[in-house]
Amino acid sequence: MASNGTGERLSPGKHELIDREVVVDFEFEGKLITAHQGDTVGSALTAVGIDLLSRSFKYHRRRGLLCVAGNCPNCLMTVDGVPNVRTCTMPVTGGMTVRRQNAWPSVDHDFGSILDRMDRLLPVGFYYKVFHKPKILWGIMRPIIRRIAGLGRVDTSSDGGPAYTHRNVHTDVGVVGGGPAGMMAALEAAATGLDVTLIDDQPLLGGQLLLDATRHTDPAIDDMQDGTGQEIAEVLRQRVAQQPGITVLNGATAFGFYQDNLVSIHHGNEAIEVRAGRVVIATGAIEIPMQFENNDRPGVMLASGALRLANLYGVTPGKRAVVITADDSGYSTALALLDTGITVAAVIDMRPEPGTSELAESVRSRGVEVLVGHRVVSASGTKRVSGVRVIGPDSSERNIRCDLVCMAGVWNPSTGLLLQQSDTAVEYDEQLRESVPVELPEGVYVAGAITGIHDLKITLAQGKAAGRQAAGFDYEDASLLRAGERDYRARMRAPGSSSGSQTVLSNPVKTAKKEFICFCEDVSSKDVEVAVSEGFGDIQTLKRYTTATMGPCQGKMCHSSFIESAALQTGKTIAAIGRTTARPPAQGVPLGALAGPGHMPRKRTALDDVHRRLGAEMVEVGPWLRAHNYGSPQDEVVTVRNRVGIIDVSTLGKLDVRGPDAGALLDKVYTHRFSNLREGRIRYGLLVGENGSIMDDGTVTRLADDHYFVTTTTGNIDAIEDWFNWWLAGTGMEVFVTNVSSAFAAINVAGPRARETLVKLTDVDLSTDALGYMRSTRGMVAGVPCIFLRIGFVGETGWELHFPTEYAEHMWNALMEVGAEFGIAPFGLEAQRVLRLEKGHIIVSQDTDAASDPLDAGMRWAVRFDKPDFIGRGGLVANRSRPSEEKLVGFVMHDRFVPEDGQPIVKNGVPIGRVTSSRLSPTLDKGFGLAWVPEKLAREGAEIFIRSGKTDSPAIVTLKPVYDPDGLKLRE
Amino acid sequence: MQLFTHNTMWRRYPLKDRYDVVIIGAGVHGLSTAYYLAKQGVTNVAVIDKGYVGGGASGRNTAIIRANYLTREGVPFFRESLKLYEDLSKELDFNLLFDQSGRLDLGHTDSAVFGLRMRTGVNRLLGVDSQMIGPTEIKKLVPAIDLRRGKNLPVMAALYQSSAGVVRHDAVVWGYGRGADRLGVEIHPFTEVTGIVREGGRVTGVDIGDQRIRADTVMSATAGWSSNIARMVNLTLPLVTHPLQAFVTEPLKPFINRSVSSANLHVYVYQTDRGEVVVGGGVDPYSSYSQRSTLHTLEELAANTLELFPFLRGVNVLRQWAGLCDMSPDYAPIMGEVDGQPGFLLSCGWGTWGFKAGPIGGYTMAELIATGKTPDLIKPFNLRRFAEGKLVNERAAAPAAAVH
Repeated sequence: MASNGTGERLSPGKHELIDREVVVDFEFEGKLITAHQGDTVGSALTAVGIDLLSRSFKYHRRRGLLCVAGNCPNCLMTVDGVPNVRTCTMPVTGGMTVRRQNAWPSVDHDFGSILDRMDRLLPVGFYYKVFHKPKILWGIMRPIIRRIAGLGRVDTSSDGGPAYTHRNVHTDVGVVGGGPAGMMAALEAAATGLDVTLIDDQPLLGGQLLLDATRHTDPAIDDMQDGTGQEIAEVLRQRVAQQPGITVLNGATAFGFYQDNLVSIHHGNEAIEVRAGRVVIATGAIEIPMQFENNDRPGVMLASGALRLANLYGVTPGKRAVVITADDSGYSTALALLDTGITVAAVIDMRPEPGTSELAESVRSRGVEVLVGHRVVSASGTKRVSGVRVIGPDSSERNIRCDLVCMAGVWNPSTGLLLQQSDTAVEYDEQLRESVPVELPEGVYVAGAITGIHDLKITLAQGKAAGRQAAGFDYEDASLLRAGERDYRARMRAPGSSSGSQTVLSNPVKTAKKEFICFCEDVSSKDVEVAVSEGFGDIQTLKRYTTATMGPCQGKMCHSSFIESAALQTGKTIAAIGRTTARPPAQGVPLGALAGPGHMPRKRTALDDVHRRLGAEMVEVGPWLRAHNYGSPQDEVVTVRNRVGIIDVSTLGKLDVRGPDAGALLDKVYTHRFSNLREGRIRYGLLVGENGSIMDDGTVTRLADDHYFVTTTTGNIDAIEDWFNWWLAGTGMEVFVTNVSSAFAAINVAGPRARETLVKLTDVDLSTDALGYMRSTRGMVAGVPCIFLRIGFVGETGWELHFPTEYAEHMWNALMEVGAEFGIAPFGLEAQRVLRLEKGHIIVSQDTDAASDPLDAGMRWAVRFDKPDFIGRGGLVANRSRPSEEKLVGFVMHDRFVPEDGQPIVKNGVPIGRVTSSRLSPTLDKGFGLAWVPEKLAREGAEIFIRSGKTDSPAIVTLKPVYDPDGLKLRE
Repeated sequence: MQLFTHNTMWRRYPLKDRYDVVIIGAGVHGLSTAYYLAKQGVTNVAVIDKGYVGGGASGRNTAIIRANYLTREGVPFFRESLKLYEDLSKELDFNLLFDQSGRLDLGHTDSAVFGLRMRTGVNRLLGVDSQMIGPTEIKKLVPAIDLRRGKNLPVMAALYQSSAGVVRHDAVVWGYGRGADRLGVEIHPFTEVTGIVREGGRVTGVDIGDQRIRADTVMSATAGWSSNIARMVNLTLPLVTHPLQAFVTEPLKPFINRSVSSANLHVYVYQTDRGEVVVGGGVDPYSSYSQRSTLHTLEELAANTLELFPFLRGVNVLRQWAGLCDMSPDYAPIMGEVDGQPGFLLSCGWGTWGFKAGPIGGYTMAELIATGKTPDLIKPFNLRRFAEGKLVNERAAAPAAAVH
């Protein structure tokens, strides 16, 4: 195991997050690592001297801690089987197992690192230029490339870790970011009496102040005279805790900011959807790497990362540091490092002259060399940084020995979340030299370092202003704030006070293959240069070709360096080069968190238990579970044909349609006419889309003058309910459409002995004279109020009984009991399919599809063209005037062979039609079914051929039902 | 090294006043049309796009190439496109990272299996190597899959097309662009067509702001924005634009080598050569020109992915995006001449199936422009089919077509 020998614990600090009294052990690649409560995996490993945390994506270069904030890809490891975990922010827990990834045989000795020396063979986009000639080469190379690519490995036998829950929060004001600006905004908004949710991704509120040991005078917080940043954070934290109305979410990452102020958050093992009236985005800015060769060596860190390690976790990031800075913050970093006992070899100030000379002086006074106007051209060292090469304003070069490089003062405003909103714009600000928000949507406010201003007083004032505005008030000191911002900009313009960004590319002309812009994808300044020279001159195609900004850091670490590099290479200004699109999530979020607890609802009828007790095989039909059969579908068919069967048809869609215009609505949406249907009568209902294609079918029963009872197919009820309401909307018709599907259970009692069975349970006169075919009545059955529908889907005398769902089991049992003497038995879906197929009844979406109209499906009788209008009439009138191409017909095989549903009908080896339903007919003892065939074959006795496998089987077309073609049985 | 000479992909030119052909839209269809036109000798061609090259659906689709459609019109068309894809890397001298690792369409219910069987039957008769396979074979091809035995929606069967594959979509666009450029075609990104010129009963050019550009033929290949371009010639298209959303995860070592789609679960999944898992679903249920994504869809896609690959629960989503789909009523493209609009050609109605058809779409449109005759392969796709009631009925495979 590699060890830099420098990782060890510092003496306890005032602001550290670890509890040195509590020890936590975890397993790292087979070894036991001892950490403290509050440690992250990254801090704990560094504390025991492990600084090689990962291998990079393309070149398999050694990578160590960089940001210590969960932003960069350098610390991705597999934790408890979950790959690509950001270990620098992952808290240690007892017994967790951690291993590094993307290396073979090990991260310490990785064969893949040979790629680092083959960089000449691997220019940007190399894979587009090789391996495709001859064609077979790609077949060989692709599996190899796939094996080398990728980062972590998933354990496909695992269940993927913990389940997540979902939670919804509604709040008046949502504040994202718990630094000084966010805390101030939350305090101000809550002070007006509003409900505020403060969302922060760190374990402790404070943001950058947690690392800020410099003294600030008159921070404008009540009675506070002065204090260090850390002290100010403490005061603000206490005030937030005491302020009623603020809910703080610590360790909560806001990853999405969707329409209507929906902020989505990943918080431990839950995902929270926060709907906020108004939102303050105070996500701050993150420090980003500088450009020099080998800027990715372990030991080269962001200054904030090094300080986080030292201040929050008490771990020494190195022993001898060089601080490179682009603003004053490098001096503060140097002082903070010195305070923890780390040697600072030099501060390299990239500006032509130091900004605040007192700061530089206080660093000098502690024996640290300050090199102004210098820059770093490269880092040396193989396993870890061992020195930097520095070039002075007079082009003199020298080496400085060190084992830690801190890159300070180049900031990238965290606009990733904000930019997910529409009507938002971020532009490069020439004065601030950062890309800052210039256009905000209604009800969204920004404050703090996201505005490109790094000044505590202004930040606090911006926070106040944003909080006031988000609460719906004006900010009284707005003019003062604007003056402060103007003053800050003026200071930025002054010589020697350049903030970082423009100096990131310290040597714009010279690029280097190992000067990394994008750490996730190993994209260097050289790669950008080459890609631009190849014609990828706009930021969007340049991004896609180089893949810069497309890795796990979501562009956080590289986006601004990337656009600067692109600007330099294309000769455009940074403002002109533009930006790539910010897309959710702003921070990687686990699939499990998005998915939530995971459930797939299934609907069960009130008779579900009954079916299971009877040993039914259940099958999924749309959202429902239905009984497919009770052992033998063939026997069930015989029962219905010869005796009496019952089937649970509760899954039918049922609509109660009432009102003076109920008939008019039904006339409009159905092809048939219903306004003239007499009370107590039933008519088949066929529903078509605007182009005339079949959407649904069912029955329509007139229960009273202004009251209809409509059934739809099982799967379509929700769509049909919507369809009714859609066509009702805005018409002024007086109709109420109520979905009563769940309120009513339904059982179909059918067969030659159905009447004998039913009369034992009811006083209703079921004789054909009293209640003929397609008639309806209401009455009691087994003491339960029922709607009787005398219809005959299965082709036998039968009644569909609709009654309140709660009596379903009682009704079923009563029927079974009285029917026992007639040989009653339940039948399932499969038997019903055979029975209806023998009658030639279609099943919508099985026998019809999106292009089937009633004319071709042989149901012209159900279409009333004499109605002045109905939905789909135009389409059907047009179709009627054109020759039909295909018709739905019945067919019968010559033997018991049953083709499979869906098999093609062929002629000369070409598909000319298809079988939609096919079964063995108990009546004919032959295979039979329904099929779409060319119009000229749609005649009685025509011969068709059905392709199954490699053979074509002949069948004869029939236009009549194979069972009881004249429908005498069901009228008995 | 000769291997890595830095040739410019496409050159920049000032816009001329006149071209033989102006193609609106620098996506796969526009650029492949230009490429095949130039190969036939028609090189005075400008491809004009309001944004960057490949920035529309060509850069947003999930790049699955398959031909297992349903209709007699659709299957041969996509079959020929797949054939062109097979040799396209060589043709364009650009590695498009195309692989034919196969594709499975899962069926979890009787009715889904019925639909798959219908497609398989037609595919086999029309020269596409589809076959129905059962759970054991599915597990062999995709060992990581959860067959959902004993759960809701168990995997019952699959349509397996072994010749289907995945391509790097950007590379296809760039390859065609570079190929067209080398043959003399001009590509003009960031140039917005603001009007279409009509004179003497025919389309004679386009306006780019104040600049008028004449052309014998103007072709619109603008997918999700086709209705807006058509409106410039007072043409209303039977298209409704819907967003379609997808996401990718952080890179993982390969665990799945084939693309898997489930219409019942509204999700399809594959893993790129870089290791990212790409997940997409059906089009959003509403029409919109917005390319912003939504949380609801992301959550649904994630949940549905975990039903097939539960071990991905801890894996991070890296990026979510949306593209636009110009959905036609019959889920088939609209291609060719427009009655009453001489000089104007359409290539649209690409819905969720456009990228698969990129090569053959361009090839056939180029043939139409160069010869004035509509190739048989695209005759059924003319706009007039809606007036004639001769819909293609690819929609019968609807749940599957809506899922890539």
